[in-house]
Amino acid sequence: MRKILTALACLAAFPATAAEGERIQVTGELIDTWCYYSGVMGGPDAVVGSAHHTCALWCSAGGIPVGLQAEDGTIYMVLKIEQDDNLAGGDTALRLASHVIEADGMHYERDGINYLVVDSVISDLGITNLNHEDYGPVPAFAIPKSARQ
Amino acid sequence: MKKLAFALSLLAAPALAQDFSEGSTAKSWNLYAEVPATFEAKVVDVLCEFTGDCPTDCGAGKRQMGLLRSADNVLVMTFKNNQPAFSGSAVDLAPYCGMTINVDGLMLDDPDLGAKNMYMVQKIQVDGGEWKKASQFTKVWKKETPDASGKGPWFRRDPRIQEQIATHGYMGLGPDVDKAFIADWY
Repeated sequence: MRKILTALACLAAFPATAAEGERIQVTGELIDTWCYYSGVMGGPDAVVGSAHHTCALWCSAGGIPVGLQAEDGTIYMVLKIEQDDNLAGGDTALRLASHVIEADGMHYERDGINYLVVDSVISDLGITNLNHEDYGPVPAFAIPKSARQ
Repeated sequence: MKKLAFALSLLAAPALAQDFSEGSTAKSWNLYAEVPATFEAKVVDVLCEFTGDCPTDCGAGKRQMGLLRSADNVLVMTFKNNQPAFSGSAVDLAPYCGMTINVDGLMLDDPDLGAKNMYMVQKIQVDGGEWKKASQFTKVWKKETPDASGKGPWFRRDPRIQEQIATHGYMGLGPDVDKAFIADWY
């Protein structure tokens, strides 16, 4: 018993460090995680795609983590895209906001969160979810009055 | 076998949901899944934690930051600071790279959306000193973007955002799509 407890104590002290990643290829939209998870701007279907593009730009430039929402619904927190590790406000994430990309990279999972280090953007499919036709701009003030003339 | 099961239950104990709300003075944002949470944690660069690529300054506010919670070694992902301004928490936490600090804020816990261990940092305390608001983003943006012109919030004046919208439109589909949509929607 003492040996078991000792072994378990060691495991508890050094939980699965995430260094054990898995190479995956995944296709999905690069989304704004704050608006998606907080619900502050509306339901999950409204805070993605073209409806939410301007807000996704704001959040990406503001340093909010970018997530990749895969086709199966899994969301990966993106930590790096190719050579750009500036995922808190960097240019690459800003340029790809709301785009669907096919990515090759390393997947890590820890404490209930999936993370992705993108080694290669295999293809950039652009913005494919044209949900502005259903929701309009989300939030409504994304398009300022001065641009509505 | 019983002993092994007992030992395994001890190992599982830290993974059980703990209550970090006691003592929190975090302000509500009226979010569906918010839970006040204050705890001690080591400030870490999340990319470094996984890959071993570890700049000494944790990326100086340009990389995403995490909080390695002292009580249970859970890696808490931070994704919002205290400002109602579309602003993340990296610039607020990066100055404390590698340090153990206290934080107060809101945890999002929403099983339906898969939100777990995701945190909005509202306040930071170092060495038992005064709590400071995690509200540095706009100050840093102003310093880094001295040429931003006009009035209004930063996200209306940011040159990079303006360039994206000028080129690709508010929906990201091009100015022609914007024009047709605006004519129809308003």
